[in-house]
Amino acid sequence: MARLAWLDAALAAGAVPASYVPDASGGRSEAEELTGADLVEGSELAVRPLGTEPLVPSAVTFIDGIQRWAVVGYDGVVPIISAYVAAAARRRKGGRLQTVAERSRRVVITAVDGLSDNVRDALQRSGEELITLKDEVLGQPGRALTAAGIQVERLRDAVERAVAEPLAERLPADEWLVIDGILSNSAVLARHARTLGVIKSHGAQYFSGDDLKRALTLPQGHRTSVFQPHRHGSQAVYSWYVRIWPWEGHDLLYGLLRLEARAHRDSIGLADALGSWLLNERKPLSTPDARFDRLLYPIHDVETYLRSRAPQYLVADPGSRLPRTGT
Amino acid sequence: MSVGRVVATELKPATPHQFHFWTARDTSIGIGSIVRVEDPADAARVVFGVVTDAFAYSDLATPLHDVVSADGDPDRASTAPTIRQEIRLWTAAVLRQFPEDPLQPVPLGRVLVASDADVASALRMDAYLTGAEPTGIPVGLYTSGGLEAPVYLDSDFLLGPEAAHLNISGISGLATKTSAVEFLISSIFQHFPTHRGRVAAVCFNVKGPDLCFLDRPGELQEEDRRRYERLGVRPEPFKRVRYYAPFKPDGVNLNTLRTHPDLVGDVEPLVWGLREALDFAEVLLNKDDIDAKADAFIDFLKDRVVGQPFDDGFGNQHQVETFADLDALFRAILRGVEDSGRGDMWRTHHVATIRKVRNRLSNISTRCKGLVTDDGAVGDLPWGAFEDRGVYVIDVANVDPLGQDLVFARVVSKLRERLEHRNLGVDVVVVFVDELNKYASGDGPETHVKRMLLDISERGRYLGLALFGAEQFRSQVHRRVVGNAGTQVFGRMDADELATPGYQVLSPATKIKLATLPIGELMIRHPHFTQPIFVRFPRPAVMRGRDGVEQFPPGEDLPFEDAIVRQLMKIDRRLKPNVLKDLVASREQEDVRRALAAVRRTRPDDVLAFFRSALGSKVAADVPRERRAVPPLSPISEEPY
Repeated sequence: MARLAWLDAALAAGAVPASYVPDASGGRSEAEELTGADLVEGSELAVRPLGTEPLVPSAVTFIDGIQRWAVVGYDGVVPIISAYVAAAARRRKGGRLQTVAERSRRVVITAVDGLSDNVRDALQRSGEELITLKDEVLGQPGRALTAAGIQVERLRDAVERAVAEPLAERLPADEWLVIDGILSNSAVLARHARTLGVIKSHGAQYFSGDDLKRALTLPQGHRTSVFQPHRHGSQAVYSWYVRIWPWEGHDLLYGLLRLEARAHRDSIGLADALGSWLLNERKPLSTPDARFDRLLYPIHDVETYLRSRAPQYLVADPGSRLPRTGT
Repeated sequence: MSVGRVVATELKPATPHQFHFWTARDTSIGIGSIVRVEDPADAARVVFGVVTDAFAYSDLATPLHDVVSADGDPDRASTAPTIRQEIRLWTAAVLRQFPEDPLQPVPLGRVLVASDADVASALRMDAYLTGAEPTGIPVGLYTSGGLEAPVYLDSDFLLGPEAAHLNISGISGLATKTSAVEFLISSIFQHFPTHRGRVAAVCFNVKGPDLCFLDRPGELQEEDRRRYERLGVRPEPFKRVRYYAPFKPDGVNLNTLRTHPDLVGDVEPLVWGLREALDFAEVLLNKDDIDAKADAFIDFLKDRVVGQPFDDGFGNQHQVETFADLDALFRAILRGVEDSGRGDMWRTHHVATIRKVRNRLSNISTRCKGLVTDDGAVGDLPWGAFEDRGVYVIDVANVDPLGQDLVFARVVSKLRERLEHRNLGVDVVVVFVDELNKYASGDGPETHVKRMLLDISERGRYLGLALFGAEQFRSQVHRRVVGNAGTQVFGRMDADELATPGYQVLSPATKIKLATLPIGELMIRHPHFTQPIFVRFPRPAVMRGRDGVEQFPPGEDLPFEDAIVRQLMKIDRRLKPNVLKDLVASREQEDVRRALAAVRRTRPDDVLAFFRSALGSKVAADVPRERRAVPPLSPISEEPY
């Protein structure tokens, strides 16, 4: 692991070096709860074929973010965490993607009040952005790590919004913005006429019973009726499921996407065209990523771009938990 | 502005001799491009490299995934809304590093296209282009990404004394070997450093009209003229060209394609006599002919007989100058031995040996008719009076192989001998020989010509004799001839040839480039260049052989009398054709040829009088008297038969 100046200072002040990349450090989580939804298209959740012509925007900008964090030291039992979040927008024109905006942020996360004076002083003098965890997370390190993960996700959401919102505000009339994730936590994005949120993890449950069955067993090339999720984020959006690869022989969620667009009747009219568009986005495959059945290639490309620029010391090293040699 | 960046991984590390870099998809970089690498941590550290291989790949994990995403339909694959990320990754071989010591791996820095000065530095040309006495010879333009940088060869390593010789190989018609050599000789003539002395070229024309019009301007395009200007070479034909060709078997018409009436006057006949042929008897007689005894007898003839009064021991005095004289001597010896009844020996030589040598030598003038005469006349290169920047074209294209062997052997031997004694007239001679596959093949029989070429290759540089050889298949030329060539030039190559071991040092990409080289582009290896370099050269400013024969179609062979008249009028234009025709009418052709040869040899002031005198008076043929039949003395009437 590359040594950081601020960490060296903390170690010199008495902290103990550590090297631990938590399993949850690479991606964001989604609440697994029944939130419910109101149908806005038809009287019951229906399965509809994506028959219409796909939407073909002249250019599309894809936005994604990444987060990386790792425990790099301990002062007593207080973990000292180095975190990195970044977001980028890559615009596709003529089939090729080019970066048009990006933001990143490096922070140190720890329970500052739990640190010894020397280590606290060293970190505060280092000039690094310091994010403090509340005292109640002190104790078993697991609690602190959970709290740190939440902090990192907030930071990531912030940089994603910082990249996406200015672009949305000046988006040309014939272009679209596709965001990896929900729109509903940004008023600008949620109200924009040409933004589309693509959600590939399905922790949140909007239906139950037959509706849930219909939603999760969608045949390939079909969509559900448009619905408005309850209590999802802070902004109202319309949403619908689309199946881009057949799930039979794989898993219920295989090839299943949930799309979000502004809460407007035009979104209902566009649901088929947008679904067909994403059906086209199956090629090229975003392999070797294991999520290729739901991960659009341009989003994968943005992610690859961000990963290539992320600090390498925050990437989990398969050998890092092995005993260190003397050298 | 940088065009790329050096990358190194554990599997593809940067080393002191090789590195890898990536560029944008749209780039001017290609195989053979010269690049400059700058060390981000040390401004003084610069590495030059030449691109030897290239790779492109995308982030596609396996080809199957492309099939899956297109549902197995290739047309659908091309409709993918996003084009995969792809890389242009280049491999470059290091040409030069600054500083040169300590030699270290190439830094992971930015990559730039080499400038003019960078090319000179990368190819170490700065060592011989600068200073009080530069020795650079322009050979072509290195072109890449809009840059055109002249590339120079070091004349000390091209023409001696440090190294010498040039070998050029490639497919006939596409590699433009002859054109390249013509341009290079022109460049040598214009840039050979004066402090190195005088230079000339002897070119053997071995096929068609290739080298028959070097004094005539060729057709150049604007692009060629621009290249000439960039290289600092004047686009002009050779000013001092002398053509030599043997006669055809008729002994009066020249055996060359430069026989158009406007041009044939420049062609000198190449005719050798007994002395010249005897000096190279080993060329003309094969090993089966010449055993030790015959060899000794030929030496005896050379040393003790030819060109001096000789007593055959039977009371006959001989002055052997021609094959005819030699045959008279043989007849006298054999008759003398037979008549004397003293056994089978003559002066320690057995009669059988004498008969064998007589038989073989007598045949030479028949087998090489047109080149070797039996009347002693000689037409030869101007030994001792070679002109500075002169080109001497010897046309042996239509001469039979035996004659070609004799011409090669004698000309090269004379050049070597004269250069050794410093009395040729020039200090350095370029000898251009095409078709080395034929004359210096690696697996063919040991011929005299091959030995000559090997000798030039191995010793020529000390004498100022540089061999410029050309062939289709380098792998099939004697390896010492090829190996001694300091400068190697490659035009478009045959794929089979590139698969031979001699090309293993080249990367697959370089081989592909060689197999598809356009006309006018060559790959060059030179002692100063650590890697092969691709250059473009302009079309030579001389008329191509093909164009020459179209513009100056060869003349028909003239009737004997007309050919004699033309030969004599070439010597003295005041002569009247009718007078000459009357003179040779109804004379024996042998007598006329002999008289013409005497005129050519003597070059008298009064050509007509000398010719008439040499021809001698006309001797009327005796009409045999009719004889009556003599009846038998005693006819035998009972004779049953």
